Formats: sequence, structure tokens, C-alpha cells
Amino acid sequence: MIILPFFKNYFTFMGKELLELRRSGRLLLLTVLFTAFGVMNPAMAKLTPWLLQTMSDSLEASGITVTEYTVTAMESWVQFFKNMPMAMLVALVMFGGIFTSEYSKGTLIPLLAKGLRRNAVSAAKTSIMLLVWSIGYFLSYGITFVYSDYYWDNSAVKNYAFAAFGLWLFGVLLLCCVTFFSSFANSAAQVLLGVGAVYIALHLLGMVGTVSEYLPSYLTQSGELLTGQANPSDYTSAVCVTAVSSLVLLIASVPITSKRRV
Amino acid sequence: MADVLEINGLCKRFGSKQALGGVTLSVPERCVFGFVGRNGAGKTTTMKSIIGLLKPDGGEITVCGERVAYGGTKTNRFIGYLPDVPEFYGYMTAREYMSLCGRAAGMKSSDIKARTDELLELVGLSDEKHRIKGYSRGMKQRLGIAQALINRPKLLICDEPTSALDPVGRREILDILKDAGKQTSVFFSTHILTDVERICDRVAFLEGGKVALSGDIDEIRKKRSDTAVEVLPEKPSDAALLAEQFPSGEVRDGCFTLKNASAQDAEDLMKCILAKHISVVRFERREPDLENMFMEVIGE
Repeated sequence: MIILPFFKNYFTFMGKELLELRRSGRLLLLTVLFTAFGVMNPAMAKLTPWLLQTMSDSLEASGITVTEYTVTAMESWVQFFKNMPMAMLVALVMFGGIFTSEYSKGTLIPLLAKGLRRNAVSAAKTSIMLLVWSIGYFLSYGITFVYSDYYWDNSAVKNYAFAAFGLWLFGVLLLCCVTFFSSFANSAAQVLLGVGAVYIALHLLGMVGTVSEYLPSYLTQSGELLTGQANPSDYTSAVCVTAVSSLVLLIASVPITSKRRV
Repeated sequence: MADVLEINGLCKRFGSKQALGGVTLSVPERCVFGFVGRNGAGKTTTMKSIIGLLKPDGGEITVCGERVAYGGTKTNRFIGYLPDVPEFYGYMTAREYMSLCGRAAGMKSSDIKARTDELLELVGLSDEKHRIKGYSRGMKQRLGIAQALINRPKLLICDEPTSALDPVGRREILDILKDAGKQTSVFFSTHILTDVERICDRVAFLEGGKVALSGDIDEIRKKRSDTAVEVLPEKPSDAALLAEQFPSGEVRDGCFTLKNASAQDAEDLMKCILAKHISVVRFERREPDLENMFMEVIGE
């Protein structure tokens, strides 16, 4: 009985968010961006030998001798894990004001005054962020996968799928931070500041050797996974901590959002 | 006739500032209720408390017999609300926005369609195909009324619906509100007193966080039938001459005013003017208007 109106509200607001994504041009921008990030990874790897060759004269003059350089799928995947945090940053900046802009403009007021549930609004907005991040991420991943396998051979790289999952999950955590900070922050800048503070705190904590493997930021370290020096099972605790803290952030935002002044 | 809205001893304080100090009023069914007060008198605070967007520090609000809870939206099913500066999603058309509002209110899609046609016709936006971002202020205000009425509310709350509009836009909004008042109760705040005189059945003056005067407009008028007569003679010295004859009158800027003047007083004054051959620029008998009452209420 209580659940049904919630879902009605949820899908109503999802429809509104999708329309906004399309009409504001963000959908196009994000599609172009994630496609570009996907294409860039194999392209950079492919171009590396050529780049080194054109620069070999100047490099030789400075005493570096360029020998034969063979590229494998590894270069392409290393590029992927270097570039995706950039895409994550763009997504975060784009979604930083997804809640606060509605609060500051007052666009939610007529809808809330009609009985639209606040938690349905939060759920719809969080879903949209996670959906866009997941689809975009998978787009980049797919393009990198196909090209890397076509030019070279993906079997030379270990655990790339799991490593990609880890980075995606870290992105999920940061987007859940956006929902959490938006429940009391007043501007996109405050929200992003909060997310940035979480990011920095995680990396500072990561310097303490004993806890680092339990931290979400551990999921962003893909180097050893790709070479096979580390196994997915080494990341179990980090995955659990990240998933649980994402959920906790979302749940904690519900009571705060319902009492905030609109 | 049951009351649609009842407010009892509503208090609200923002930091050290007491915004509302015990507001008490009630709005009966099918009535246009004017809520008058200066800027910052607490009109918006009262309205936001009614729809549960602000947490009152004390007092009780009931809408159609149900108590309003802060942060909750249950009683809002009886209410249509138009904020002071309504903001809509600029990338939508009026029809799309109305449909979003209808679904937010939990209406059936066939009903939404019919109601949208009806209301956009009422506010004169039915032929408007453009997106809302290109709308003028008056158009936004009209769309605001349409969205507020979509779920057939028992109570329509409008926060200063006319204050930012030109005279034409204002008249349009007032006509729409008057029309709406035939089906639902309209509770609207304003500081423009002619608006109240034009369409309201009842009025409440808010001053210093309290209701200073409220009731039926005609009854209030009757209670204070203090008509005044104003005479502006051509020569300022003649005003002093009139003041000699009528000691209860006063002279200000060459204009003679006789307060609380009866019809007989007016006639006597006229006779005196004729007898003394005073040449007159203006002779006026002033009806008691809300503006004077308001000024009296706020003590200025």
C-alpha cells in the first residue's frame, strides 16, 4: 500500500530527469565524452611507437636511444585506467548540482506541494546518476575491449574485467556521496567540496599500510591486477566496504532530506 | 459551512527575529480570502507553514480537518500552491509540465489530459507551443495557477500572485482567481489593496506577526463608515476661511479636509462655499477604503 505510490512517484520523476538529461544536451555531451574516452585508449597505444619514432632524433640528441618498441593490449588497458578517473570527474562535476540547483531555484516546491514524496525524488535522481555513470562506463569499456582485442590480444592482460568493475564501484561510491552531501548542502560547490574531501581523506588514510586494503580507494589501484601480481580475491574487503558504505550514505540521506528546508 | 483552513496561534521565529507571533484565522469554503500585510510581515512564512515546507515553533494548522505535519505531504492533496516567484522546468512545454504535475498528484492520465486542456484554456495558454523558458512573468504566473488547480484542490494558496505584473497581467490573474473562487477557496496574499477590494469576500490584515483585523469585507467597511470630504479651493487663503467655519476640519497643503463627515455636513459645506463665493478646483467625498483602514491598522 505504501510502496505503490512511492514507485509511481519514482517513475514520474525518472521521466522528468530523463527528459532533462536529453533537452539540456547533457546526454549528448556524456555520450560523446565516454565514446571519446573509449576510442582514445587503444588509439594512444597504437600511436605510441610512431610517436617515439618521430621524436627519436631529438631523444637521441639528449642521449636516449630508442630501440624497437612493441605495443600490447596492456598499453591500451593502462590508458583505460588512467583515463576513466577523468571521465568520473566530469560526471561528478556535471551531477554536482543535480539536487541543489532544484532547491535553490525552488522548482521542486510546486511538485512537493502536490504530494510528491521527497524520497522518491532522491531515489530517482540517484538512479539517474548511477545509470548514466554505468552506461557511459560500459560504453568506454566496450570500445576499449573491442579495439584492444582487434589490434592485439586481450589475453595478454590479466583481470581487466575485475579491475574495471573496481573502478566503476569506486565511482558509484562518489556518486552516492553526491546524494548524501546534497541532503544538507546548499550549492553544487559545497557538494563537490564534500566529495573532494572524502576522496582526499581516503587517499591519506591509504598511506597507512595496514588499513589501505580495506579502503574504497584500493579499488583504483589496478596495476598489480593487470599484470597478474594480485588476484581479485585480494580486493574482497575493499569491495565489501565500498558497497556497504555506498548503501549507508544513501540510507543516511533519507531522514536528512525529508527534514531539510526547501 | 465548514472551514477549509484553520490556523491557530501559529508562531515562527528565525534566529532572533519573531516572524509570526500567534497567527489565528480561518478560511471558509468557496471564498476568496485576501491576506494583506507589508513586505516581511510574515505572509510567505504563514503560507509555507500551511503546505508543510516550514516547521512552525508553535500553534496548529488544519486543512479540511486534518492536521498539517512538517515535511509531510499528506494534507497537500487538498491544496494547490502558487509560490511568490514560481520556477518551472524551462525545457518543458506547458502541457508537459501540467502532465508532470498531474502525475505527481497521483491523477489518472485521462483525467490529466482533460484537466490540462480545461485549465490551459482558462489561463489562456492553450495555444502556447513554446518551452517555458521563453515565457514572460505573467505567463509563468498564469501557468502557476493552472498547475496549482490541476488536482481540483479544496484550497488554492497564492503567494503575491499579482505583485510583479503589469496592470493588464494583474487584471487577468485577478479574473482567473475570481473564477477559481467559485469552485474552491482561494487564499491569496498581497500588498495591493485594490486587488483585495476587487475580488475578495474576506480579508485579514497581518501586522507584527499577528492578525490585526479580519472578517467579511462588507462588514468591515460598515463598521468604519468614516467618509471624509475634501475641498481644494483655487486660493489657498480660502481653505483657512473654510476652517474658520468648520472648526473640526483641518487644512493641509491648501486643501481643506472634513473628517467623519455626514451627508448633512457635506451639504452645509457646499452651501458655505456658495455663500462665500469660493472658487473650487475639487470637491470630493471620500469613501472609506481599505488603504486607510490598513494604514490605521499598522498605525501610520
